[in-house]
Amino acid sequence: MTESISLISGSVFSMLSGIGVTFQLIFISAILGMILAVILLLMRISNKWYLNYLAQLYIYIFRGTPILVQLFIIYYGLPQFEFVRESFLWPVLRDGFGCAVVALFLNSAAYTTEILRGGVLSVDKGLVEAASALGLSKRQSFIHITAPIAIRLSLPAYSNEFISLLKSTALASTITVVDMTGIGRTIVSETFAPYEIYISLALIYIVLTFIIQKIFGSLESILSRYTKK
Amino acid sequence: MEALSGWWDDYFWASIVVLKIFLTSLIFMVLFGLVGATAKLSNNVVANKLASIYTVVFRGTPEILVVLLLYFGSALALTTIAQVFDPSIRFIDIPPFWAGTFAISFIVGSYATETFRGAFLSVSQGNIEAARALGLTRFQTLLHVQIPEMWRVALPPFGNHMLSLVKDTSLISIIGLNETLYIAKQATSVTGKPFTMYIVVGAIYLGFSTVITLVVMLLEKYANQHLKVEK
Repeated sequence: MTESISLISGSVFSMLSGIGVTFQLIFISAILGMILAVILLLMRISNKWYLNYLAQLYIYIFRGTPILVQLFIIYYGLPQFEFVRESFLWPVLRDGFGCAVVALFLNSAAYTTEILRGGVLSVDKGLVEAASALGLSKRQSFIHITAPIAIRLSLPAYSNEFISLLKSTALASTITVVDMTGIGRTIVSETFAPYEIYISLALIYIVLTFIIQKIFGSLESILSRYTKK
Repeated sequence: MEALSGWWDDYFWASIVVLKIFLTSLIFMVLFGLVGATAKLSNNVVANKLASIYTVVFRGTPEILVVLLLYFGSALALTTIAQVFDPSIRFIDIPPFWAGTFAISFIVGSYATETFRGAFLSVSQGNIEAARALGLTRFQTLLHVQIPEMWRVALPPFGNHMLSLVKDTSLISIIGLNETLYIAKQATSVTGKPFTMYIVVGAIYLGFSTVITLVVMLLEKYANQHLKVEK
């Protein structure tokens, strides 16, 4: 018993040293994913059928395949081609971290687009009509009326997406990234103590999930402060 | 493309493995979801707490960790037990198939718990009271009133749960199940064409997701057919 306690206390600190990598993975891919998601959203709600169709195809492909497969296609698959290895993207696609970020943000963008679209669609039609009656152009009414409300409405769903992004970062350990899970797996293969290591690692993730939920919860109450009755 | 010849049958059998895991874990997922929802809705404090812990733990932990923990953890426990009887045993494990199936059913079951709970709560209290007033027993009420009404509400999120179930099967290749991703790894080491091999895996999963999406669409049409008359 004392043995496992000293094992846990020793390994928790070495696993926590990987939390920086985990955070980098989440934040970089969340930001890039959000940028791509906004572009895809604009394509999705535009009147041009081909833009809409392209965005839908993208979402269909990235939501229909496991993220692990996407990760493997990018990490193991792309170097098969000569032009990838000679392109300017090679420094990114050469190491596991870069590939993990690319896979995570491409995947997250697909989900985020649908979340944002849900937010945009649930904005009251009357507000948009009022904006155009007041003489706002389509672009102005989207930026000043639709977008702020849509962001607030899609926040709860986005917090779920953010949490699943956190959980997906654990998959990066399969392509040699040394995040928390990667360190944990190394320790398990050295000590063969799966219970102690994996359960304490799971607890770390649960605490992180909890913190993220709290942050999004307070963000939501800040954004919806004027809707309270 | 010619790199793929000779591997088609491996991919086919691996897809059958995916299908088998999907169907098995679907049953367990529904079971865990229903038990969890019942526990959450019951008046029993202990059951309530246990169900909350279940959903918090499995929704907050990365899927890959659950898979690893269930596989290596159960292997360790089994080996320890077996060594009591026969010290010469070095290592035994439960088959990756079952470890993986239980892992993903536990995970998706925790999401299904919330779905089922919400769906049961959406059944109007008046309908239940009416059924009881007409002399239906509690079980009959559940079977003929609550379940038919709740599954209509639960169907769209349930379709998403089925999709995550089929996508999570890919994780089981990490613990050595001969699933499509595992085949792709083998094929890559023989042919040296990783992109081709992994794209096939992607296409197989896309096929599975498409079929599930279509089935859920049909089911939704079937479940909501009575609503059309009102229009």
